[in-house]
Amino acid sequence: MKPKVAFFDFAGCEGDELQVANLEEELLTLLEQVEIVSFREVMKEHSDNYDIAFIEGSCTRLQDEDRLKEIRKNAKIVVAIGACATIGGINSLKNYQDLDDVRRTVYGDKAKLFDTYAARPIDAVIPVDAYVHGCPINREEFLHVVKSLLLGKKPDIPNYPVCVECKKNENICAFERGEFCVGPVTRAGCNSCCVNEGTKCWGCRGLVDNPNENSQKEILIKYGLTVDDAIKKFRLYFGWQERKR
Amino acid sequence: MRIILKEDFEKFVNSLIKDESLSVIGVKSKGNKFAFGHLDSASELRLDYDVTILPPKKYFFPQRETLVTYNVANGFAAKDSSDLKPTVILGVHPYDIVALLHMDEIFRETKSDPYYFEKRKASIIIGVNIQNMSERCFAPQMGCAIIDHGYDLMLTDLGNRYAINIGSQKGEQLLDKYAKNVTDALARDVQMVGQKKQEIMNMSQLKFNFPTELIPEMLNKTYDQSGFWEKHSEKCLACGSCVLVCPTCYCFDVKDDPHLSLEHGERVRTWDGCLLEDFAKIASGENFRPTRPTRYRHRYFKKGKYLFDRFGFVSCVGCGRCSSNCLPDIANPVNLFNDMYSEVLNMGVVIDAPAEPEVNIKSEGDINYVPKLATIINKVPMTANEMLFEIKLDDGSTLNQVPGQFIQVSVFGVGEAPISVSSSPTKKGAFQLCVRKIGNVTTRLHMLNVGDKVGIRGPFGHGFDTEFLKGKDLLFVAGGLGIAPLRSLFNYVLDNRADYGRVTLLYGCKEPRELLFGDEMVALEKRDDVEYKPTVDWCPENELWTGNIGVITTLIPQVNFDPESTYAIVVGPPIMYKFVIADLKKRNVPDDHIILSLERRMKCGVGKCGHCQINQIYVCRDGPVFNYSKIKGVPEAL
Repeated sequence: MKPKVAFFDFAGCEGDELQVANLEEELLTLLEQVEIVSFREVMKEHSDNYDIAFIEGSCTRLQDEDRLKEIRKNAKIVVAIGACATIGGINSLKNYQDLDDVRRTVYGDKAKLFDTYAARPIDAVIPVDAYVHGCPINREEFLHVVKSLLLGKKPDIPNYPVCVECKKNENICAFERGEFCVGPVTRAGCNSCCVNEGTKCWGCRGLVDNPNENSQKEILIKYGLTVDDAIKKFRLYFGWQERKR
Repeated sequence: MRIILKEDFEKFVNSLIKDESLSVIGVKSKGNKFAFGHLDSASELRLDYDVTILPPKKYFFPQRETLVTYNVANGFAAKDSSDLKPTVILGVHPYDIVALLHMDEIFRETKSDPYYFEKRKASIIIGVNIQNMSERCFAPQMGCAIIDHGYDLMLTDLGNRYAINIGSQKGEQLLDKYAKNVTDALARDVQMVGQKKQEIMNMSQLKFNFPTELIPEMLNKTYDQSGFWEKHSEKCLACGSCVLVCPTCYCFDVKDDPHLSLEHGERVRTWDGCLLEDFAKIASGENFRPTRPTRYRHRYFKKGKYLFDRFGFVSCVGCGRCSSNCLPDIANPVNLFNDMYSEVLNMGVVIDAPAEPEVNIKSEGDINYVPKLATIINKVPMTANEMLFEIKLDDGSTLNQVPGQFIQVSVFGVGEAPISVSSSPTKKGAFQLCVRKIGNVTTRLHMLNVGDKVGIRGPFGHGFDTEFLKGKDLLFVAGGLGIAPLRSLFNYVLDNRADYGRVTLLYGCKEPRELLFGDEMVALEKRDDVEYKPTVDWCPENELWTGNIGVITTLIPQVNFDPESTYAIVVGPPIMYKFVIADLKKRNVPDDHIILSLERRMKCGVGKCGHCQINQIYVCRDGPVFNYSKIKGVPEAL
């Protein structure tokens, strides 16, 4: 029997689910392996009977926790997809601001109607079994995680920084092109896609397990960034992880 | 030496490119840097480059390479190499040629790597003498800035023309076939080439403060200077850039890449690096080189000491890539070794003579990456986490393992894992594996059923010397899963009982329910030619246990043995060895009477991939069974 799969979204842009929808031909092959029972972005049917739950988006309200716990109860395997779900994502930028100000900025005079609390990744609320990192996720890696789960193995998500992939791809180091890159502390697995295209790593896959943050910040400053800007560089995606560390 | 005018050289290159039976690679510009790449026209070639981002090794040992393909229905097959074309590589600097010569030795030793050599043999190397040297290059100091062999052709820029040194028949034939207007060099050309080489020797700005022959000995003296290594690696990002751009680094990882149908897929090897955090981590989570300073040190030791001891060369060619690619700028070997020299002077240590290693390179046959298909014929749960598998090779052959050897077990799409054989070679036909569910392959193995297929490579490594042990008293000491490899020897001894002296088995595990091979152990209690003493660390109240309670070492004082005639065979988790060895020493067991088996991460099984390395030793090739006297001085061993 094919495993039943469901997709859920919390605070996020749904770009990761879009990546899955964009698998196109491979989506058909995927459907030979799994049965999708809920996927709001591409179908109207819904069922609470599923084995694997893919969750996009971060948790930004207390009442979302109940929904997450319900998903956890229904699913055998929970997979966080995309930076918001895996590491808190850019939503966590608000954690460094006054939350009332944030609400007023977004909702104006209706601010009181909308609850909020510090944005957090899914695993801050419920246990997560596997991660598909990235903003947005990489389709290849999504398939790798699905295949791994089907084979009963732990997905092979690197614990080395993006530099490894940049070197294998023979990229010119972003720093040498005058860019400020956080690739040296960011978890690889994206095949250094942004640097391949001539820009820099923003850190969307989060920190490696044991990043040398001091050294990385020193490098940013050595190449001309102010201390404040170096800290901001880290906050863009590492905001939640930094606070936790 | 020959001469060709530059316009004729360009025509030569274009005629190579025009021949579709050849693949033509050359140095091209990439942004403000250079890289080897496919040439579409001779005008792209930049022989005036300083250094390429990656060395040309990527054409022989690519970043990602298929080793084996598999199909769940048919098993494993070697990858198809029929599309391999003769490849001309234009513009290789001498230091990169030296690096390839090092790689040749490394990939040839023990067993030859067929995938490396098929591409190496199909290659034609056209070198070029350095015209511009990168500011981090110190090739002259390493004796690698000029070279008189290792190439098929070697170019030297003489203004309007190139001088060509012919290094091989292959090179000469290429020139005869594709180049026109090639003339013999005149005396002044030969003289000019000599002058150019002199200039190259003086191009580097970097200088060592000591003779480089002393590097291996200097390393030897500073291994334990942890403060020195901590200071130098404090800013290390563990990003692996230094090793990934190195022309002599060859460590690799091996992974399965299944197709989405899960019906077929390939097994690929990818570049790996010893600076990366998980490089020496095994399935149980234990990391044998967990800190940045130890990994940083390992890199220098591997290049400057371990490979030197094995091959007789320091495996650094002075290209400077590690140094120029290190963001915190801590990877410059010249700075490191100059600092090390000061450190050694400060320590008051005198190094007067360079080390002279005994190089004894052996190579026999090719590495076979293709597993043999085998069938699970029986599967018996032993504990909650351990299962005994009985496996038979489908071609009807026997494994022919020496007790203590290991095999690489493949599960389609999941990968390969090293597992010790648990049965004795005296058991013919099928063999047994006692497998703990701990990593990807072992977890998946537990899910397989009788009749399912697996892949087997090996046996690998050195097992127990059953001949040498004949007539000796044997004290077996097993901790937990250590009984699995130990049982292969233990059963061998029981099957040849008359050949051996007294036999004692001390076997410890955490609690009674974790005891493996329970029935066999009970049977031992009835034998009068074997002394068997089990122990558990603790016994829960609801379980029955009549034996000893306490860690394994509590059994050692309880047995009588003569240390002179007894050999202790010790296998257990890494933490156990120190304590057991200390207690055996208390009973006056000589070092060379202690034999143990080590567990490490292993990918290739033949001393290439680098994961199982403990200092100069490859556990997969030199072990996993070691005499304690041989490894007690090896700091990373125990």
